[in-house]
Amino acid sequence: MKKSRLAILPLLALVGLLLLAGCNKKENTEQSSSAPASAPAAPTATPIDPATVGSISGAVKLDGAAPKPSKIDMSQDPACKGANEAETIVSDKGNLANVFVYVKDGLGSRTFDVPKDPVVLDQSGCRYHPHVLGVMAGQTVQIKNDDPTTHNIHPTPKDNREWNESQPPQAAPIEKNFAREEIMLPVKCNQHPWMKMYVNVVKSPFYAVTDKDGKYEIKGLPPGDYTIAFVHEKLGEQTQKVTVAPKESKTADQSFKAGGM
Amino acid sequence: MPDKPVPDNDPIVTKSYAAHYMIAVTLLTASLLWALWDEAFGMRPWKAYQHEWKQRYTAFLKSASSKSDVSQKEVEGSSDYQKLKQDLDQATQQATPHVRDLQKQIGDLSAKILAVQSVFTDRRAYVNALTYQIETNPSSKQSIQKDLDKYKAQTATVEYPDGSKQPYNFEQLEETYNSLKDQRAKLNAELGDTLKPVTQAKAALDEYVNDHMVDLTPAQIVGLEKKTEDLDPSIQQINVAEANIVDRCESCHMGAREPVKLTAASMSEKGAKAPDDFAKAFVSHPNPALLQVHDPDKFGCSPCHQGNGRATTSIEKAHGNYEHWLWPLYTKQNLEAGCQTCHAADMMLVSGDVGWTISKGKDLFRQRGCMGCHRYEGYDKEPEELQSLNQQIKQLEGERRDNTKQSAYLMKRADAAESNDEANKLNDEAVGLRVANSKIDGRLQQIDFRAHSLMQDAKKVGPNLKDARLKLNKNWIPVWLKKPSEFRPGTKMPNFRLTDAQIQAISAYIWQSGFTDSLPHQKPGNADHGKELFETRGCLACHSIGEGDDLQGGTFSANLTRVGEKANYDYLVRWIHNARERTRPYCPYEKKDIGPEDYAKKNLPYVFDLAHSKCPNDGHELQVQNMTVMPSLRLSVEDAQDIATYLLTQKKQEPSTYADASFMDDPKLKDEGQKWIRHYGCAGCHEISGMEDEGRIGTELTFEGSKPIERLDFALFTEGAERGKEPITNPEDLARLPEGPAKAPWYDHKGFFEHKLAEPEIYDKGMVKSETEALRMPNLHLAKDQVQALTTFLLGSQESGLPANYQYRPQDTRRDIQEGWWIVTKYNCVGCHQFFPGQDSSLMKMKKYQDADWKEQLPPKLYTEGARVNPEWLRRFLANPSLSDTDTNRNGVRAYLKVRMPTFSLSDDEQRKLVRFFQALSQQPLPYIPQSVPTLTSKETEMARSLFSSTAAPCLKCHATGDAQHDAHATAPNFLLAKERLKPDWVERWITDPQAISPGTSMPSGLFNHVNGQWVFAGPTPPSFQGYTQDHTKLLVDYIFQLTPEEQRRVASSMGRSTASNSAPASKKPSVGATRHALPHSGASAGGSR
Repeated sequence: MKKSRLAILPLLALVGLLLLAGCNKKENTEQSSSAPASAPAAPTATPIDPATVGSISGAVKLDGAAPKPSKIDMSQDPACKGANEAETIVSDKGNLANVFVYVKDGLGSRTFDVPKDPVVLDQSGCRYHPHVLGVMAGQTVQIKNDDPTTHNIHPTPKDNREWNESQPPQAAPIEKNFAREEIMLPVKCNQHPWMKMYVNVVKSPFYAVTDKDGKYEIKGLPPGDYTIAFVHEKLGEQTQKVTVAPKESKTADQSFKAGGM
Repeated sequence: MPDKPVPDNDPIVTKSYAAHYMIAVTLLTASLLWALWDEAFGMRPWKAYQHEWKQRYTAFLKSASSKSDVSQKEVEGSSDYQKLKQDLDQATQQATPHVRDLQKQIGDLSAKILAVQSVFTDRRAYVNALTYQIETNPSSKQSIQKDLDKYKAQTATVEYPDGSKQPYNFEQLEETYNSLKDQRAKLNAELGDTLKPVTQAKAALDEYVNDHMVDLTPAQIVGLEKKTEDLDPSIQQINVAEANIVDRCESCHMGAREPVKLTAASMSEKGAKAPDDFAKAFVSHPNPALLQVHDPDKFGCSPCHQGNGRATTSIEKAHGNYEHWLWPLYTKQNLEAGCQTCHAADMMLVSGDVGWTISKGKDLFRQRGCMGCHRYEGYDKEPEELQSLNQQIKQLEGERRDNTKQSAYLMKRADAAESNDEANKLNDEAVGLRVANSKIDGRLQQIDFRAHSLMQDAKKVGPNLKDARLKLNKNWIPVWLKKPSEFRPGTKMPNFRLTDAQIQAISAYIWQSGFTDSLPHQKPGNADHGKELFETRGCLACHSIGEGDDLQGGTFSANLTRVGEKANYDYLVRWIHNARERTRPYCPYEKKDIGPEDYAKKNLPYVFDLAHSKCPNDGHELQVQNMTVMPSLRLSVEDAQDIATYLLTQKKQEPSTYADASFMDDPKLKDEGQKWIRHYGCAGCHEISGMEDEGRIGTELTFEGSKPIERLDFALFTEGAERGKEPITNPEDLARLPEGPAKAPWYDHKGFFEHKLAEPEIYDKGMVKSETEALRMPNLHLAKDQVQALTTFLLGSQESGLPANYQYRPQDTRRDIQEGWWIVTKYNCVGCHQFFPGQDSSLMKMKKYQDADWKEQLPPKLYTEGARVNPEWLRRFLANPSLSDTDTNRNGVRAYLKVRMPTFSLSDDEQRKLVRFFQALSQQPLPYIPQSVPTLTSKETEMARSLFSSTAAPCLKCHATGDAQHDAHATAPNFLLAKERLKPDWVERWITDPQAISPGTSMPSGLFNHVNGQWVFAGPTPPSFQGYTQDHTKLLVDYIFQLTPEEQRRVASSMGRSTASNSAPASKKPSVGATRHALPHSGASAGGSR
C-alpha cells in the first residue's frame, strides 16, 4: 500500500502541475480597479474680504541730482512733433516718475481674475503713453496710433513671445496680451529709435506706476505680510517688506540713488 | 541445487526500502517540478513581466479612458465643435428628404431590375447558345439563324413587383434592362452628390476631434484595452534577417511602442512608494519622434542601445551586463553613443540638434585637437589626401619622364628603321607617348587645383610655432609649457607633465627653429577704440575675455584675458589684420619653407598669396596661409593697431616680470628638444620647422569602442576596477569624473575612457617607467560634461556589424547638409548665426546683446537662407562678404551692423559645399534658375512707387539707400541689392510675414492683409489702386527688383530725405556705410558721399 501510494505521488504532482499551468491563463483576469483620477484641486485661496482690505501708498525719490535728460533728434520723421527729451529718468525735484511698484511676494496661492477692460497704450507725438505700463497676465493691451506716421510695435521679451507689427496712421487698434509674468519688458518702434516703453506683466492687480510727483497707491490689499518691489528701467529693483493690518493705509516710501548710471 | 532455507534476516525481504524510495522519489519529483518550473518560469522571467503588464496597463487605460471621456466632452463643448456639429446636422437635415426619396427610388428600381433580370438572363443564355452554334456550324448557319430570329421575336412576360405584367420581345427586354440599370446608376450618383456635404461635414468633425484631443480618443483606448486583454504571454521579437538583428527586448519592455506616454510613476502599483522594476520596464520610449524616424521593425533596439537582444533568461543577460558579452547596454549618460553606429559621418545628427551629447563629443574631439595624435576616420582628412596627392604627383612625373625618354628612343629607332612601315609604326608609338604625357599634364593640373583647395582647407588646432620668435615673449614660453591651464583656464593646449629639462629643451628647439624674418613696425593704436571694436566687431563670437563671472564671449577660441603678457605688438597687429598672412610659404613637396632668396633666384617678386601659390622652384602648390581658422575681419591697419593696443593691456603681470629664459639660445639643447617634440607629437597640432611630416603618435580611435576589454590597458588597476576602487586621488582630476569617484565596479570601456580622460597618466600609477616609456597622453583639463561627451563618442566608435545600407551616407541633398555642417562647425559659424530656432549663437548669449537696441545689431538668422538668396550670389558673398574689391572695410549687405561678416578664405570646394548646404537646408533645387520678374508698365510703376513711398509703408525709413546721412540711421539692407541677391518668391513671403521667417526682426509684420484671396496693403492705399485685383505684394516685389539707383534717389528725395548719393552699394562701387559714422576712428580712408 505504502509503496503504491508513493508511486502515485509524482503522477499526482504532474497532474497538479498541469492543472496549475492550465489555470495560469484564467487567473488574474479580474482587473485591479482604479479609482477615477481626482482632478487636481484648485489651490484654495483665502477669499478677500472687502471689509478688511487696506492699501499701500507712498512716494519714490531720486537720491542725488537727476542726470540731464538727453535730447532726442526727431528730425528724421517730419510727422514727429513733440517733447524731445528722453524719458529714461524723469525726476521733478527729486520725485521719481515711471517706477513700477508691485506686490512681488506675500499673496500666496491667490489667483485673480483678469480684468475684462483693456489697458491702453497710445502712440502720439512719436512717444508712448504711458512710458511704463502695468498689465495683468492675459489682460488685453490695446495699442493705438494717433500719429500721422506709421509705427511698429516691437516688444523684445525674455519670457513671452516676441512679435513686431506695423501700425499705419488711422489703423485699427492692435490688441495683444502677454501670457507670462515679466517685469520691464522693453517695447520699441524700429522706425523711431527713441521710442521706447516698458510693459510690466504681473499676476495680481496690486501694482502701480509712480506719477510725475513720484506718488503711487496700491488699493484693495488684503491684510498680510508683503514684499513690495520698486522697479526702474535704469536704476534697477529695490524691495521693501510691508505688513498691512486690516483696513490699514500703509505708507511705503523708497528712494533710488542717482549714481550708477 | 539444494534448497537453501531463506535466511531470517534476508535484507531483501526483511529490510524496508521505503525510506530510500521515498527520498529518491522526492528528489525526482522535486527535480521534475524544478525542471517544469524552470521551463515555464525560471527561464522565462518575461512571463512575469507580461503578466504584470496586462494588469497595470489595463488599469492605466481605465483611468486614461475616463480622462479621455472628459477631454472628449471638453472638445465637444467647444464652440468650434458645436459649429461643425451644427453644420453636420444641418447638412444631414437638408439632405435627408432627398436622400430618402432617392433611396426609395433606387429600391423600387432594383426590384424592377431584378424582375426583368430573371427573364432576361434566361433568354440571353438561349440566344448566346444559338449564336455559338451559328459560329461553330457554318453548314447549318442559316437554319439556326432562322430559329434565332424567331426566338428573338417571341415575347416573354415580365411580372413587375407591383403586380403589373408586361410582354417584351428580346430586343425590348434588353433595352428595358439596360435603361433600368442606367437609371439606377444615375440615381446612385445623385445620392452620392446629395450626401457629399454630409460626408464632408462628418469628416471635418472627426478631424476636429482628432486634432483637439490631447490624448487618445475613448474609441482608441477601448481598442488598446481589447488588445491588452487578448495578449497571450509570448516572446515579443523583432527579427531583421537582413541586418542579423534579433531583439526580444519588448518581451519585457511591453510599453516601448504604445501610443500613450507611460512613465514609471504611471505604471507603478497603486500606493507604491517608488516605481519597481516592472514599472521601470514598462515605460514608453521617451522619444517617440526618434522611433518614427528609426522604425524598430527595421532597426530593432540593440543597434542603438546595445545589450544582448536575443537573451531572455535574465535582466543581466538581456542587458548584456555580463562577462561574456562585449556590448553591454549603454548607460543613460552615454546613451547617444548608439547614434554613432550609423551616424559616424555626421557632425550634427539632425539639422535642429541642440544639446546632444554625442555631437558635443564629436566637436570636442575636433576642436580640442584629439585628432592631432589620434587618427579617426573622417576627421582631419586633408593632410592624408594631400599626402596621397603628393604620391600621385611623384608617380605621374615619373611616368612622364619615362615616356619622354621612351619616345625619344623610339624616334631615334624610327629614323634608323629599315622600312618606312616600321619607321611609321615607331613614330606612331612615340606620338602616342607624347599625347599620353599631355594627358598627364592635364591630370597634374587638376591635382594641383585640388591640392590648392586642400591646402586652404587643412587647419591645425594650435598656432604656427615657426612664428614663435616673432610672436611671443620669449620668457613666457617655459612658463606656458609648465602648465598651460594655469595661465589660461580652458585653453585647448593640454598639460603634458613635462620636466623642467624637457621644457627647456622643447622651448629651445621652438625658439631656435623659428623664423627670424623682420616684421613691419606698427604705430601704437588707441586702446579705447580698440576695446570698442573688439567688443562689437564680432571677436567675441569665438574668443572670450574676462574670468569667472565676468567672462564674456564664445568658448571656440582662446580666452584673451592675459594675452598682454605673451604677445608681441607688431605680430599681433598683423595677426588681427589678417591671421592667415604667413611669414614664409611652405612647400610640402620640397618640405621646405620658401624665402625671398628662392624667388630671387628665379627673378620673381617675393609675393605669395592664394593667387600666387606656386613654388618658384618646382611650380607645386605652396602653403601660403597660416593654417588657422581665424578669418580676416577686413579691418583697416589702424583698426587692427587699436585692437592690438587694447589687447596688450590685458594682463595680470608685466611681461618683463617673467624670469629670464636665455637657455633657449643654447644650441646644445636643440637636438634634445626635437626629440621631445617628436615624442610628444607636438606637430600634430602645431606647425614646427622640420617636423611638418610627423605622423600621429597616438592610437587610431575609429573603432576604439569595440576593442576587447583585455586590450584596454588598465595596468595595475584591473582588479581595483573590478572591485570598484577609485585610483584617482588628485581632487582636480576627480572632479572631472562625470559620476564622481567610483562607487561600483568600473572594469569596462566606459570606466576606462572616463578615467583616462580625467587623468591620462592614471594607468602609470604605481609603475616604474622611464621618461620615454611613461604614458604620453596629456591632461586635457576637461570638465565633467566634456568627459562624458567624449566617453560617449568613444563608446560609440565601433565597427558596426550592420549592413552598409544602415549607415547614414545619403547621396541626395541630405549629403549636402551632412557635408555643410562639417564646415559650419569648423569655422564656428554658429558663434554668430542661428541656423534653426533654439540654437543660440555665442553673441546672443552675451550680456550686451540682451539689450533691445543691441539685439538689432545681432548677425542675421539663417533659418531660410537657401530660400532667401540666389546661390550664385551667396557663393560670391562667402568668397568676399564686402562685395567689393576695393572698399573692403565694411559689410557688403548689412553695412549698418557693427559686427562684421569676416572673410574666411574658403576654398572653392568649401564655397561650393556651403552653398549646396544652404540650398539643401531650405529644400531649394540646384542649379537655381531665377524667376523672371515682369517689367512693370508705367502705370504699375506709378502705383508701386506710391505704395513704396507711402507714409503707411515707409520702406526707406529703415532700409539703406547709399546716402551717408540717411544710412547713419538705417537698420536694413539697400533695396538695390535685391535684384542680384534675393529670390523674388521669398521676398514676397518676407514682406507678408517677416516675423515668421526671422522672429524678432526689425521688419514688422502686418503690412499686408489677405483679403478674399488677394494680398492687400494694410494701410490706406493710394487712389490708383482702385479696382486693382492683383496682389499688392507682388507689385511691390516686382518694383523692388527693377529699382534703379536713380529711381530710389527720386523717391527718397520726394519723401523729404536728403539727396542720396549716386553710388549703388552693389559690387565694386564703393559706398559709405553707417559703420563709419558710428565709429569715428575707423579707417581714415574715404568718407562722405561722392
